[in-house]
Amino acid sequence: MSPFDLMSPMGATMALLPELVLTGWSLLVLLVVAWRHETEQDSHLAGWLSFLGVLLAGATLGMLWLGGAAPLGPTHMIALDAYRFGAAALILLSTAATILLSLRYLDRQRLLAPEYYVLILLAAVGMMLLAGAADMIVLFLGLEVMSISVYVLAGFDRFRRSSAEAALKYFLIGAFASAFLLYGIALIFGATGQTNFTLIGQHLGSARLSLMAGLGLAFILIGLGFKVSAVPFHMWAPDVYDGAPTPVTGFMATGVKVAAFSALVRVLLEAFPAAAYLWQPVIAFLAIATIVVGNVVALTQQSLKRMLAYSSIAHAGYTLVAVWAGTTLGAGAVLFYLVTYTVTTLASFGILASTEHVGSRTILVDDLEGLFTVRPGAALAMAICLLSLLGFPGTFGFIGKWYLISAAVAQGQYILPVVLVLGSLVSAGYYLPVIMAMTMKASRTQDAHRQVTFSVAARATVAVAVAIILVFGVWPTGPLAVALDSAKSLGAATSGRR
Amino acid sequence: MTAFLASIGYDRWILHVLLATPLIGMVVVIVSPPAWARVLALIVALFELVVSLGLWWAFDPSVPGMQFVTKVDWLPMWGVSYYVGLDGLTIFMVLLSTCMMPLLVWGSWHQIDFKRRGFYALLLALKTGMLGVFLAMDLFLFYCFWELLLIPMYFLIGIWGSSNKLYASEKFFIYTFSGSLLMLVAIISMVWIVGGATGTYSFSYDHLLAHRDLLGSAAPWLFTAFALAFAVKVPVFPFHTWLPDAHGEAPTAGSVDLAVILLKMGTYGFLRFAIPFFPAFALSRTVSALVVALAVTGIIYGALVSMVQPDLKRVVAYSSVSHLGFVMLGIWAGTVQSVQGSIMVMIAHGISTGALFFLVGMLYERRHTRLIADFGGLAKVAPLLATAFTITAFSSIGLPGLNGFIGEFLVLLGSFGRFPGATIVATSVVVFAAAYLLWAVQRVFFNPLVGPENEKVRDLNFREIAVIAPLIVAMVWMGLYPQPILRRTEAAAVRYVETVRPHVQPTAAAPVVTAEAHP
Repeated sequence: MSPFDLMSPMGATMALLPELVLTGWSLLVLLVVAWRHETEQDSHLAGWLSFLGVLLAGATLGMLWLGGAAPLGPTHMIALDAYRFGAAALILLSTAATILLSLRYLDRQRLLAPEYYVLILLAAVGMMLLAGAADMIVLFLGLEVMSISVYVLAGFDRFRRSSAEAALKYFLIGAFASAFLLYGIALIFGATGQTNFTLIGQHLGSARLSLMAGLGLAFILIGLGFKVSAVPFHMWAPDVYDGAPTPVTGFMATGVKVAAFSALVRVLLEAFPAAAYLWQPVIAFLAIATIVVGNVVALTQQSLKRMLAYSSIAHAGYTLVAVWAGTTLGAGAVLFYLVTYTVTTLASFGILASTEHVGSRTILVDDLEGLFTVRPGAALAMAICLLSLLGFPGTFGFIGKWYLISAAVAQGQYILPVVLVLGSLVSAGYYLPVIMAMTMKASRTQDAHRQVTFSVAARATVAVAVAIILVFGVWPTGPLAVALDSAKSLGAATSGRR
Repeated sequence: MTAFLASIGYDRWILHVLLATPLIGMVVVIVSPPAWARVLALIVALFELVVSLGLWWAFDPSVPGMQFVTKVDWLPMWGVSYYVGLDGLTIFMVLLSTCMMPLLVWGSWHQIDFKRRGFYALLLALKTGMLGVFLAMDLFLFYCFWELLLIPMYFLIGIWGSSNKLYASEKFFIYTFSGSLLMLVAIISMVWIVGGATGTYSFSYDHLLAHRDLLGSAAPWLFTAFALAFAVKVPVFPFHTWLPDAHGEAPTAGSVDLAVILLKMGTYGFLRFAIPFFPAFALSRTVSALVVALAVTGIIYGALVSMVQPDLKRVVAYSSVSHLGFVMLGIWAGTVQSVQGSIMVMIAHGISTGALFFLVGMLYERRHTRLIADFGGLAKVAPLLATAFTITAFSSIGLPGLNGFIGEFLVLLGSFGRFPGATIVATSVVVFAAAYLLWAVQRVFFNPLVGPENEKVRDLNFREIAVIAPLIVAMVWMGLYPQPILRRTEAAAVRYVETVRPHVQPTAAAPVVTAEAHP
């Protein structure tokens, strides 16, 4: 494939093809939904149509990626490198899984509004733009498209108060974060006169940052810190994760994080490579705070969803350890860890979504007691997911943690890896009780867990995810190579650093 | 025999077969009907046993290094390989593990009466993990096996354990997991430090050992991380508190596996990794003094606490703390005799403590209690059981002529020159050792027969005799004729001593005992 001239309409269209396909498809689904929005069949139709759209977007993405799409000259607006493609593929994966897991869930919770799927597709478009942005304006655009769709999704369960609360909370705090980000972008523009990452990097050069640029960087970090739910910007996450419909929680915990982390890495490495002296201590602080708070607070949670919410905060902290490294290896580790985390989290939320029943309160850890005897497959899959989140050898999560630690150790940093493993140790304290409840305790009632049924789609999604966790846990060569290659494509700005 | 083994290429496939068979067996057990589980597990165990026996002949005692070596790239971009091998330090751990396997299945035959498939599948998975720990020569692989063991053990205790199983299983997991996590950071750091200096990023044991001098100022930290992981597993006093709970609550098979293999992984880790990698720091005066003090404390503390335990299983569990203190003492003394003695104690402790746990399990099956106070005078109604228990107890306390004596004697002999004070204290403890087990034996078997339940206790049946008899034969054989075992461990012990010798601090009491001085 010849390089795309991003200045020409044709080149820009080609470069944005996956996002355009997905946008167009979501409008199409919206049109279909305008006529068909009454019954379960309508909802399923919209769901499968959306899934098809994700597949199409995935196909165009694969075309670009495998075709080795590259820009002619400098990149404008949208990056055209393997790091964007890797992140976008992960986002599409998360979207597809979320759609499949939602099909039966929406029926069961009587949420028969097929606009749900349109919002999911639009959120995915926003995520892909955010992850692929090479310009501050596109970054903000992607962030807003993503966020606004997800605000609505979080409040989608109209019958539950907690869902409405989640949406409002998420919206208010999210708007606040967006404002910070926008202010940061404005300050950076004021300091450099540029919005393009690479140009900002060139303009700033290797000199120390001016106060204005430094403040801009700080505000951008705060804005993205909210989206990756780094402590102390995490306050919204537990309530929102708990209140949102379960598949949406899975989507937020994976897709939003993938997009925000990819953007964070790209901004730091391409726009502020020389300001590492400034952002590395900040990231280190955020990482330690996030790991400690996420893990310690998760210990005290009774609700499974809240526990997973805090654990996902902790995982954001682990990922920040590799962001800290600020190297190609670190960027590869971030992407790789996001893959392991996404696959594992999707599977666990998928199981959780199937375990809930109509209009029930949130699931407590104790509610899973004896699951293994009634639904051995589900319990086993859940146990594998939790072990992978714990970072146990033989699972995908272990390889991911190994990579994160390597990225930090390669830079001679030992404190962050030690904090990371101590955090993992604490996390054993809340993952194990779930496994224990499922396998070692007897169920409370005779007919407990009988209502736990998996639709074929959900079953397939969870099975594939668990298979990935196990196979790549033992044989991660493929994804490792892809992650590292993607990281290497991250602009010339990183070439100076190992 | 050697020629036959060579003709079938034994040395090329044996280790892979040993590692893979239990895993395949696990899958087969899971997909088969529950009623077949124990039979299938027994078949796999017997197969492992028969195949592994060839090691006895195929192993060349004169070679100090690794034998049966295979190295295949696994994750080449990280320098990780599937690298396995066997030497004099590990051959008996492997053989002990494979020999115990059929006994474990056979011993759990009736005791496990629910979720049989899961039980035997986990038992098989545990076996692969154990063998892997001893065979792995790549630190990534080693770490994977090391951690993988936790899961089957966690479930074995948590599902099939006795009353307080949930507490025990979680404690076991958290303790051992916490120890090993820092080792993970240490392993990665070592590879990056060595890789940064040499340009070769490799997790291979040889590579790291050859460049251990490059670790420089990081060595104390790295050693501490490794030592914590191993000390929890041994367990060295004061990290031992998980052991009585785990042992006490685990089903018999779990207790036996813990005693026979899992505890040895800690001492093996010191012998193979922690000391050879960082000899200058590990054997420095301060660290030696600390470790020896902890080892002797463990020897005495284990014996004393064991004496007052009301629960027979906990008596045996605390005696392990005491025995493994001897192993630690021998390792740190760093003479050929003491190291060989340590290996002998590891083997002997495996056999005799394993047998004790089997016997306690059999008592529990009969009376559904393990409290010593509930028993009394069982020798009258169950003479075979009483005899077996008494012989095993004798072996455990180190009666000359049985296997416990050889190892402890060698450790004390080899350590005396280096740590005379500690050795004298440890020797005096053998008296306590006699007290704690013999007192328990007396109260269970030889006091007046009281209570209707005790009168109805039946003697060993054929299956139980088949479990215990091989162990007793091994105790006597090792006690009377340990030469074949010593001969096979000597080269490895000498190699270990030579690896660390330049760093052994000469003490005022005696010069360093060198390999040459050994008769």
